Amino acid sequence: MKPRRGRRQGAFTPYLFLAPGLVLFAAFRVYPLLEGLWLSFTNARLGRAQQTFVGAANYARLLDDTRFHVSLLNTAYYTLASTVPILAVPLGLAVALNRGVALRTFLRGAFFFPFTLSVVTVGLTWLWLLDPVIGPSTYYLRAAGIPVRSWLADPSTAMWAIILTTVWWVTGYYLVIYLAGLQDIPRELYEAAAIDGAGGWRSFRSITMPLLRPVFLFVLVTHVIGSFQIFGQVFVLTNGGPGDATRTVVQHLYETAFQNFFHFGAASAMAWVLFLVILAFSLLQFRLLRGHTQY
Amino acid sequence: MSGSVWRALLTVLMVVLAVAWLLPAVWVLVTSLKLTENIVRVPPEWIPWPATIGHYGEVLFSSSRTARIGRAFFNSIVVSLGSVAVVVLTSAMAAYPLARMRFRGRSLVFGLLVGSLMIPNAVILVPQYVLVQRLGWLSTYQGLIVPEAAMTFAFGVFLLRQFFLTIPSELEDAARIDGADPWRIFTGIVLPLSQPVLGALAIFAFRSAWNDFLWPLIAVNKPDMFPLPVALALLRGAYAAESYGPIMAGAVLSALPLLIVFLVANRRIVEGVRVSALKG
Repeated sequence: MKPRRGRRQGAFTPYLFLAPGLVLFAAFRVYPLLEGLWLSFTNARLGRAQQTFVGAANYARLLDDTRFHVSLLNTAYYTLASTVPILAVPLGLAVALNRGVALRTFLRGAFFFPFTLSVVTVGLTWLWLLDPVIGPSTYYLRAAGIPVRSWLADPSTAMWAIILTTVWWVTGYYLVIYLAGLQDIPRELYEAAAIDGAGGWRSFRSITMPLLRPVFLFVLVTHVIGSFQIFGQVFVLTNGGPGDATRTVVQHLYETAFQNFFHFGAASAMAWVLFLVILAFSLLQFRLLRGHTQY
Repeated sequence: MSGSVWRALLTVLMVVLAVAWLLPAVWVLVTSLKLTENIVRVPPEWIPWPATIGHYGEVLFSSSRTARIGRAFFNSIVVSLGSVAVVVLTSAMAAYPLARMRFRGRSLVFGLLVGSLMIPNAVILVPQYVLVQRLGWLSTYQGLIVPEAAMTFAFGVFLLRQFFLTIPSELEDAARIDGADPWRIFTGIVLPLSQPVLGALAIFAFRSAWNDFLWPLIAVNKPDMFPLPVALALLRGAYAAESYGPIMAGAVLSALPLLIVFLVANRRIVEGVRVSALKG
């Protein structure tokens, strides 16, 4: 036997280890991404054997597609409107749980539980709760003297019902992330601040908030990437209605490609517009929040 | 106010909030156990009495509806376990050289994988459909398993590489001196030491495959091949006007496997989320 075979031994070894995963990755992630870009410049349809290059026609048509504009606006509205509750609710709960309350594991588990459910299960749950005739929320609100409308059938409240549903679904996930971030902040900082006479709110603003900045960045970027792709909640709760009040980009894309027109070229153009919007938002957030992370 | 009183009050407040947070799920469970005529009672009744498991029997075994939850449950199990197997195997194999070996293209491969975490799944929906159709995989298990696995693969590599880096390399060096080849070292030393993180990845992959909705919605068009989320969404259409009982029974069934995993491995799931988020 040779005395020592260094880490470099077997020049192919690393590639053999990587091969199965990289084949999977190349075939089902990289290739579809590029193929989608190509499709967006063609007149591809479901069942059409040959597709021809049509230049930027699909993109040009998006400029005139008012339903696409509505869905883009709705998606942006949903993303912006849900950002505050998605950032604040889990943070509030995490800060409270981090103040030495009893039963922490149970409490954390209770808030996390909805995140183990599928979007369809969550959607059905809230569809039933918010049912305007027999849903329990309707009964209790009415009993409390609050005028009850049909939340999901009213264009001015339907999106908020979807946001409420989403907050219930994902809060536990972000709560766990915030908790981990909070635990990484050294206790001594708070003790020192207390000695200097800083109250709870003061130390929250001057210690917790700045030190949590990387966590905020993660939550924001994750939330924005997810929000721009919202589909399941809408599909189950409103199917885009009433009218087009909750129609979102992915829903429009889904219907264009698989429900109404089977127009893969147009749907791919939507996908790439969506991709660029998401990318722009993510980069913007990185710039906004990264710039200040100097201690 | 003294610290302990304050803490007790806060605990009470948080318990009330947590119970309120769980109420929607409790309401689903309660509804699924009620007799049909009691479901729409006002005021809402929080104790299902008399209780029935009839709705479960109906969604599991009745063949009169478009989507059979019993069959869908089985499909979801096959797809999720298949995806877990593919993800754990491929990402462990890929993460090992990325953590431990020097080779040309290492940082390129790793950079590509991390960068791909930013690719929105919705963006590759249409071309992925075209690909799976060309392979003849529509409405098949592999047509669900392989794309689901591909979605989680890059994350898995990232998570496992992070963990492999923390394993002291002395054990591997010793084995290498004894003449063990890289595969033996990988399967005999690295994988056994990585059981906790492999478990966390398995749970994560199971959850994403079990709960995914959009991909199976388009990739499956035979009712016999629907996984649970698709079958449930269509069940709603089948029952809407009549009763929430069977729908809620289906919802409870769909929640069960992950609820069990969650009760058994609460710590590990939370740890997995933590690691995945903060080392990112």
